[in-house]
Order: sequence, then C-alpha cells, then structure tokens
Amino acid sequence: MTEHHHCTCTSYADRARQETVAVEENVQVARDTYRVRFACEQIAEGIVPGQFVMMRLAGVNDPLLGRPLAMYNVVPDENGRPQQLEIVYRVVGKMTRRLSVLEPGALLEVWGPLGNGFPPTETEHLVMVAGGIGQTPLLSLAKEYLHRQTYGSPPRQVRQAKKVTLCYGTGGGEYLACVEDFQRAGVEVRISTDDGSAGHRGLVTELIRPVVESSDHPCRIVCCGPEPMMAATAQLAGKLGLHCQVSLERSMACGLGICFSCVAKIRDESGRWDYRRTCVEGPVFEAEDVEFQQHFSQLKQRPKV
Amino acid sequence: MNPTETPHPVRLDVQLGRLRLANPIAVASGTFGYAREMAGLVDLARLGAILPKTITQEPRPGNPPPRTVETACGMLNSIGLDNDGIEAFIAEKLPYLASLAPATIVSIAGRTQDEFTRMAARMDAVPGVDALELNVSCPNVTGGVDFGTDPDSCRRVVAGVRDACSLPVLAKLTPNVTNVVAIAQAAEQGGADALSLVNTCLGMAVDWRRRRPILGNVLGGLSGPAIKPIAIRIVYQVAAAVDIPLMGIGGIANINDVMEFLVAGATAVQIGTANFYNPTVSVKILDALPDALARLGATCVADVVGTITKQ
Repeated sequence: MTEHHHCTCTSYADRARQETVAVEENVQVARDTYRVRFACEQIAEGIVPGQFVMMRLAGVNDPLLGRPLAMYNVVPDENGRPQQLEIVYRVVGKMTRRLSVLEPGALLEVWGPLGNGFPPTETEHLVMVAGGIGQTPLLSLAKEYLHRQTYGSPPRQVRQAKKVTLCYGTGGGEYLACVEDFQRAGVEVRISTDDGSAGHRGLVTELIRPVVESSDHPCRIVCCGPEPMMAATAQLAGKLGLHCQVSLERSMACGLGICFSCVAKIRDESGRWDYRRTCVEGPVFEAEDVEFQQHFSQLKQRPKV
Repeated sequence: MNPTETPHPVRLDVQLGRLRLANPIAVASGTFGYAREMAGLVDLARLGAILPKTITQEPRPGNPPPRTVETACGMLNSIGLDNDGIEAFIAEKLPYLASLAPATIVSIAGRTQDEFTRMAARMDAVPGVDALELNVSCPNVTGGVDFGTDPDSCRRVVAGVRDACSLPVLAKLTPNVTNVVAIAQAAEQGGADALSLVNTCLGMAVDWRRRRPILGNVLGGLSGPAIKPIAIRIVYQVAAAVDIPLMGIGGIANINDVMEFLVAGATAVQIGTANFYNPTVSVKILDALPDALARLGATCVADVVGTITKQ
C-alpha cells in the first residue's frame, strides 16, 4: 500500500498565524467535555482536517505553554467565508480546567494551522475509529469526504466517498460527545462503551471488523484515540489488509517543530525507527510506520499540579 | 508612540567582541529549531542573531520521551541534543541560515576538548557562520567532562577553539555551579569574545501517584519566566567581574525583561522558551525596543548596558 504514503513529509507552519482571540461560546457537550468557538478568519481559512492549533490562556504565565487541540470544525460567516473555529476538548489538567470555565469575551492566544492533517486520499468507504476524545479531528474529515463542507485555501478537493462510518468508543455513555454532529453530516455512527451504558459493551476495535466485512466498498481506516487503541486498530488493519492512518497525541511545547518535545518513534523503509516530531511530521502517520508506545497510559495523563 | 515617531533615532547595533549584531535581540539555541520552522510566523530578517539548535560531531537520537514537562511559570526539558550531526547540519541547515540577514551563531557541543576543537575548525571552513557558541552547559548529556562546571577545563576548551578557528567565540555557561564568576573569568582568560548567561537550571518533576519521575531522562533543565531572577543575578555578578560583553538568557518574555537584563549588564539577549508559547515574541520585543531605550535617554544600546546602580 505504498501508493498511499502521503503523510510523512515535514509540514512547517508556513501558513500559521498567531492571533489573540475572544471566546464567543464555550459550552459543555458531554461529561468533562466542552466546545469552544472563537473568530480567527486567517486560521479558519487555511486549516484542513487533522490539523491543529496551539492554544493558551492569554496574559498568564501559569499554565505557561500552549496545548495542541485539533480543529473540530470551521464555521463560515453568512457569505460562506471561513470565520470561526470550533475546538472540542476534554478536561484533563490545569489548562483545560481553566479553559472550561471561560466566559464569552475571555481572551485566548492561538497559533495555527499546524501539522500535516489527513491527506485527501481517494476512498470509497472511510472508516473512522475514535476513542475517548479522539473523535474531534474526524468530523471535518467526514464532512469533507461527504462533500458537506470544504476546508483549506484554496479549498481542498476530495473525491466524494460513498460512505463514512464512525466507530466511537468511550468509557461510558456520559462521555459521548457530538454524536449528532456526525449523524447530521451523514456519517453512520457505531458506539461502544467500556461499561455498556451505550452501544456495544466492549472495545471500539471490536466494531471495526463487522463494518469492514459488511461493506460493499473498499475501506480505508483513519484512527485517533488512546495509544493502545490505535496500536490495536493498526494491527487489525494490517490483518484485514486495509490502509490505516493514525493521528498521534504527544505532549507538545510549541507545535512548530522548534522544541523537539513531541517525538514519536517512526520507522523508515528499512524498518529502523527514528524520533520524528509529531507536530511537523505528523500528527497523522501511516499506521504501519509507527512504533507504538508500550506503556502510553503512564505518559498520557498529565500531572495534576 | 509608534517607533517611527521616536524623536531621536536610537541605534540598535551592538558589539560582542569581534561579532557585530544589527540589534541585541537574538533567539536562543534549542528554542528556534533551525529557523526554517519559524519562517512563516517570524520576519527572520529583523532578528539580531539566530542560534540554531546545538549540533554535535555525530548524530544523536536524543532522550526518550516525555522530553518536556510544564512547571509553575516554566518548563523542564530533557531533549538530549537530538540532532543529525555536524555534516548534516552543514549540508541541510546551514545554507538556509546563511541566506538570512541575522548573524548565524552556531551552537556546538563536544564530548571532549579535542572534539570541540575539531568541530570549530570544521565550522570555520564553511561559509555562512558568523560566530560559535560553545555549549559547555547542557544538563541533559552525560559521559565526558562537564566543561562548564570547572574553570580550568572551561578555559582550555575556549582557548582550544580560539586557536583552531578565526570565528568569534561565545561560551554559554551553566547556572548549576557554586561560583559562576570563576568560570566566567576562566572563559574570558581562554579568549572568549562574549559569554552567554545562562543555560537551564537543573531540575526534576515527580509523578507521586506512580512514584516515578515525569521526564524520560529523569532530570531536566528548567527554563522560562521561573528562572529569570537567577539569570539576572548571574549577569549582574559576572558583569562586575569580567571585561567581555554578555548575552543575557533566562525567561525573557517581553520588553521589560530585555531592559532589565541590559541594565543589569547584558549587551544583548537571547529569547528562549518564550518562542515556544509566544512564537512572534521576538519581533514584538523589537517593535518596543527603540522607545524603551529612548525612555532612558539612550541613543544606542550601550548607553544603558550595566547602568544599574544601588540605591
């Protein structure tokens, strides 16, 4: 499947802008999960699915660093021009806790678009696999593939997919966020929860095989979520002979490629791994190139300072 | 007041030994990649100098992640000099840096005195390098002598590099010593054109629930606003003890920070961690610099350098 390898080139933030923006809306959409919306035309105009922005609370030194947050959606103005960005985030630490209580008018520092994003590879049936808060980069991708919305400047051209499915797993039903946004966009949504409080009781990876095997079309997988779940999805995709791309999460300081914090082990053609910067060489990688972290759960949780 | 309305134009150029900079605002090694990464956000031509990420003789993969962790008003890093080695730097990174207007001050780290000397000679032989900064102070590499903590070895490394090349030489010193003045004097005796003060402060962060260090390499270097008072103290102490110019580094995030360092004794400054969380900070500071200098009645940067007085 080497013909699909589009997403491992370095993408410097040549079109990035840094802006101070005011919160327009910041609402809870599920347990510990919020959606914030703000106007930033230049970033909104250029950003494509799978790219992210760095965001920090303006005017404070603690928390100091920006946080990488995926673009959830671009909201156009009345003339159809990209105007606002929407970010959906889970409260996991100091910054997101403070972000979650911001009222409209509060100021944020934002820079982006950052990262490579999902390449617009032609696909008949796009199977999107999300765990935890990993659904957030996938709504815009689905809308793009279903020709509901275009992204980028000039607008990125994507061959319309015949079908898009979201396999979405969370700990419990109370964490399911924005499912109706996906359904409204025409996405078939399949749910799993650890506790069985919604959808299939079990792992989200258990939803993939039935979707693929019952599909009338050739499938391709994109995946975002906790590292063990992405590793399992990548393994399953390999077994099923399907092309799979994953969007990695790493702790970042800059998002620009200058701090070398966010490295992941990525294999080259010879099979040797090297540390690659997730922010400029990812966050989207070919699943078969990623050396997944064995004990990611120990790294993922930020210290609750 | 708009900078163009400044009544008496302020000269911004500064002299660091044999090295002349168009202005005193530089970006610190390890906080600006190889400059190409920032070309979309920062008007690079405006900077006084760019210090690319430290290079070593051989490629180094760097330390295992997590490599950084945020702390109160700062961050710890243990990147571990992740770089592709001197030859890849010369072939792939230097041509771009050389094409830019700012001075390129190449940061080098050797494992031995001989390696420092050989790297310096190699950099002297290629076009586009304006000066060297000797990283004798990275807290994240082990094995080999820690040149920045012993006056004699610091003097020998600087002197060896001076003999091996014709480039201006800066020594970047560590704050993690009892008496930084003695090491600064040793670097001066070795022939340093200027000193970069300071590298990161050795620190550690702990996840008590898992009873583990947070950083993959256990210890890391603390940077950001949290260390500014330490850096200013060292600039102030060293300025009183040496005759060579100083570049101040440590938590600089705005024009007030820059002015504090200049008045305390720095001739120029390097902006570090702030590039991470405010990528356009360097040009914002440059916008504000002429007025801040004029406010002290200065017509050039040197008019304010080291002008601090006790009550």
